[in-house]
Amino acid sequence: MMNKDKNFKDFYEQTLVPELIMLDRERKKVDRRVILIVLITVIAIIIEAKIIPEDAGDWKFVIQPLTGILGFILISVVSKNYRLNFKNKIISKISTFVDKNMQYTPEGTVPEEEFIRSAIFQHSCDKYKGEDHFRGTLGKTAVEFSEVVAQYVTRTGSGSSRKETYHTFFKGIFFVADFNKHFKTHTIVLPDTAERLFGKMGQKLQSLAINRGELIRLEDPEFEKEFCVYGDDQVEARYILSPSLMQRILEFKRKWNTKVYLSFRDSKVYIAIRMTKNLFETRLFKSVVDYNFIEENMRYLILLTGIVEDLNLNTRIWTKT
Amino acid sequence: MIYFIIALVVLLLIIAGLYNSLIKKKNDVGKAFASVDVMLKKRYDLIPNLVETVKTYMKHEKSLLTELTDLRTKAVAGDISDDERVDIENKIAKGVSGLMVAVENYPDLKASQNFIQLQGAWNEVEEQISASRRAYNAAVTIFNNGVETFPSNMMAGMMNYKTKMLFEIPDSERKNIHAADLFNK
Repeated sequence: MMNKDKNFKDFYEQTLVPELIMLDRERKKVDRRVILIVLITVIAIIIEAKIIPEDAGDWKFVIQPLTGILGFILISVVSKNYRLNFKNKIISKISTFVDKNMQYTPEGTVPEEEFIRSAIFQHSCDKYKGEDHFRGTLGKTAVEFSEVVAQYVTRTGSGSSRKETYHTFFKGIFFVADFNKHFKTHTIVLPDTAERLFGKMGQKLQSLAINRGELIRLEDPEFEKEFCVYGDDQVEARYILSPSLMQRILEFKRKWNTKVYLSFRDSKVYIAIRMTKNLFETRLFKSVVDYNFIEENMRYLILLTGIVEDLNLNTRIWTKT
Repeated sequence: MIYFIIALVVLLLIIAGLYNSLIKKKNDVGKAFASVDVMLKKRYDLIPNLVETVKTYMKHEKSLLTELTDLRTKAVAGDISDDERVDIENKIAKGVSGLMVAVENYPDLKASQNFIQLQGAWNEVEEQISASRRAYNAAVTIFNNGVETFPSNMMAGMMNYKTKMLFEIPDSERKNIHAADLFNK
């Protein structure tokens, strides 16, 4: 790790800085345009407030917000190229630096079918989008991951007053890797909310959870405190979740310090890491020629590709190669 | 009168619930125990292949190989007591782990695709055995809790259910599995 740090400093200075200087010129241009758009939008809203007659009724509440939304859309349009350039020129290079076998697609995402197959979340997935897709074979393990936002929809009312509301049930990183053992059944590891809240009663509640298979009670008390496990097969779930893997999952969870969900299916492991931060993005109004700002992206990528080692997926002492 | 009947029905329901949950727990133990057996049989099946593969390479381990084959024949024959079987399981586990160490002296064998495949299969079976034992222990723990805690312990007393023994599983040791208590049901 120390070695990689030093290398990254060199890599940053030699390869990234020239690109970053170019990007920063572009940023200043975008900054000016954004300020202009904000000014025009604000002025437009003020003028609208003056000229819309008092008796305009509902229109009063529509025009001003619409102007604001238009301003936001314009900002995202004028900054789109700059954002993509940052991803294509900087993030893709960092990706190759972290592991040369990795392919980066800024606008790609882990396929929705994979997300649904994992069956981690029981909401119906009505809207699915993502970005920053990485894919590659790290050591012996094929992996892919991306940022994902998944939403379900609720509908109220009918006819003209019919309203659709989208609710986000997952936002964060979705990670798929080939698992190092063969297995046939489905096992799922969820953060344990019931047991922490209700203790013994929680355990009862967990065992009543519908559509989740049997509750698997594992012998590691620390693990049981953090997670609850459901599976189709008591033995196979334990075959997958060996005592050492349980320890590794615990450490992994502590490292990220957020809610993590794991699903084992079709000899693959699916991991969902909840996260509010949008990773691998550039910024406005502040220079991007900034080592700490760039290094943070590298750190996240190392953390993500490190999952393979964290879960020991490159150990192939079983029949699966 | 009506209250008396309601109370009686409720009482009967509670008794039935306790009875059924104990039966279910006992059956889960039986199921888990059977799965240990399945995994052990899988291990027997690997032995002939393993012996066949290493035979041509290994010059000095002939007696170990014959012993393994004999042990397997005895185990598969089935007309042995539980204690004997535990003993045979131990010997097989020890014999094969000795074999895996001896392989270090035969680089050709170690590199052969066939052997690598078998070694993987062996590791797999060992972990499956360990997993099935852990599953058995979990089922026994749930059963024992049912037998010992109020109010199901009264029911268990009437049904003459006694607590069952757990397997002893050493923490990280997979190669040398203690099969003691395995068949002392």
